[in-house]
Amino acid sequence: MDSNDLQGGGQRVLVVDDDPDMLGLLSVWLKAAGMDVSTAQGGADALARIETVRPHCVLTDLYMEGMDGMMLLTEIHRHDPLMPVIMLSGHAGVPEAVKAMHLGISAFLVKPVEKEVLLQQVTRAMRLSSDGRAGGRFGEGIVYRSTRMAELLDQAELVADSDVTVFITGQTGTGKEVLAMAIHKASPRRDKPFIGVNCGAIPEQLLESELFGHEKGAFTGAAIRHEGLFQAANGGTLFLDEIGDMPLGLQVKLLRVLQDFEVRPVGSVRSVPVNVRIISATHQDLDQAVKRGDFREDLYYRLNVVPLHMPNLAERREDIPALLDFFLDKLAQRRGAKKKRFAPEALEYLLAAPWPGNVRQMQNAVELCATLIKTDIIPLTMAQKALRDETTGIQTLKEARDAFERNYLISVLRITSGRVAEAARIAGRNRTEFYKLLAQHHLDAGEFRKSGSAGIDDPADGPEVATGTDGEA
Amino acid sequence: MTKVVVHADPDLAELIPGYLANRARDVDALRAALGRGDLEAARIIGHSMKGSGGGYGFDGITEIGAAIEQGAKDSDVQAVIDAVSALADYLQGVEVVYD
Repeated sequence: MDSNDLQGGGQRVLVVDDDPDMLGLLSVWLKAAGMDVSTAQGGADALARIETVRPHCVLTDLYMEGMDGMMLLTEIHRHDPLMPVIMLSGHAGVPEAVKAMHLGISAFLVKPVEKEVLLQQVTRAMRLSSDGRAGGRFGEGIVYRSTRMAELLDQAELVADSDVTVFITGQTGTGKEVLAMAIHKASPRRDKPFIGVNCGAIPEQLLESELFGHEKGAFTGAAIRHEGLFQAANGGTLFLDEIGDMPLGLQVKLLRVLQDFEVRPVGSVRSVPVNVRIISATHQDLDQAVKRGDFREDLYYRLNVVPLHMPNLAERREDIPALLDFFLDKLAQRRGAKKKRFAPEALEYLLAAPWPGNVRQMQNAVELCATLIKTDIIPLTMAQKALRDETTGIQTLKEARDAFERNYLISVLRITSGRVAEAARIAGRNRTEFYKLLAQHHLDAGEFRKSGSAGIDDPADGPEVATGTDGEA
Repeated sequence: MTKVVVHADPDLAELIPGYLANRARDVDALRAALGRGDLEAARIIGHSMKGSGGGYGFDGITEIGAAIEQGAKDSDVQAVIDAVSALADYLQGVEVVYD
């Protein structure tokens, strides 16, 4: 089901009944609940209207003259297997309900139906529909339908406008950086840089240099001055990912920066003022880390001014259809191919799966499914295979090593501004080996070189998303 | 004629007069069906009424509809006749309050 801009963003229900009194009653209830209601008097009328109305959900009476509810259900699902259909009947017979369930209805309600029960079922059926709402103005690109996400985004929008320090918690793959970016874009700093750095992926000395900069000659291989990410992000937002992994030695320095709004590059005697908004994130329980002595309590309190929590995918299952649709859509666009769909059984399976790797895992799974299946409809077996192959979303040792290596290379290239000779020296490799490594990771040293005279780094040209935050959606 | 006060949803204010008028027409249709011995027609009308009454706020109409439907199924003509009378009384005496 594609969202249809012509009809606007409302929740559209098609109500089908040959009894005008029931049509009237159900329409009033659904309209009062804020839905867009269209009506049809009987199955044939419904089929005729469904193409123009493009409902998110169909509510139909079972017993109707001519085409009855069951026949209508079969016809609808022939064209759109994912369309939620709710059946209403004056008969409470179990065999009928079971038969209808097997044919794929979302719910079977017995008349006279209570308003609250009806609204509850329609709302629930809407959730199964894949017409997800991309976050209006705030958080464009964040796909959700759940109340949980709506509330989170409301909170995030509130704090976006100020400079307040935000602390995002949540499992790996839940989209913490996406949220951080959305906050930045909604803030007064949106036209300044957004720079992200993964504090866990880089050795301590490199991280220090990366963040605070270094003077020429500050350590072996530091042939030129490097301004560091705090200065590069000046005026903008700095996103410190996996802050829980920051070594204690650096935590002290970070704390000082956050208190004084100044950075002192490695090897320098002067401090440079910086004006940066800090958003940090971690999948760890920092409370525990503080208790263990692995994280400074004073730094924690300074970072945790406004806490925001990204729910696990399992905690917002209502968003799964919309997210799946979003990834299928993106893939289709990227390949210039027809958009694929999940079969109803596959969708049910995915809705119930544990998703330990969260949205990142889902993205990989969708890509796997769409790649390996030649038909337009992705069957249950493929969905099962994709999740099995993804195992738990935890990286293999090789993947983890590769990610670390990549982040390391990026850091080294950054602090040497793309000068391979120096970068190689720092990394303890000869130039040839170093170039080979770069090639393996599809890295181009040229991208890290800044224009301008030797020894002077130019300020960042504009908004920039760091590439050093691998491993997180 | 017994007076029955029904508290109805203000959202339904526009629809209810029409609904009650339709039920009055049902009384005529039911009597006509009984006149020609057409219990199946009576059953269908009763079934519909059973399904919609409660939703509009008229539990009495649902009950009567159920009685008509059951009576017709059981081929109990007297039960149907009684229920139709009850319906006529109900419609005469019902008073709707919107709150």
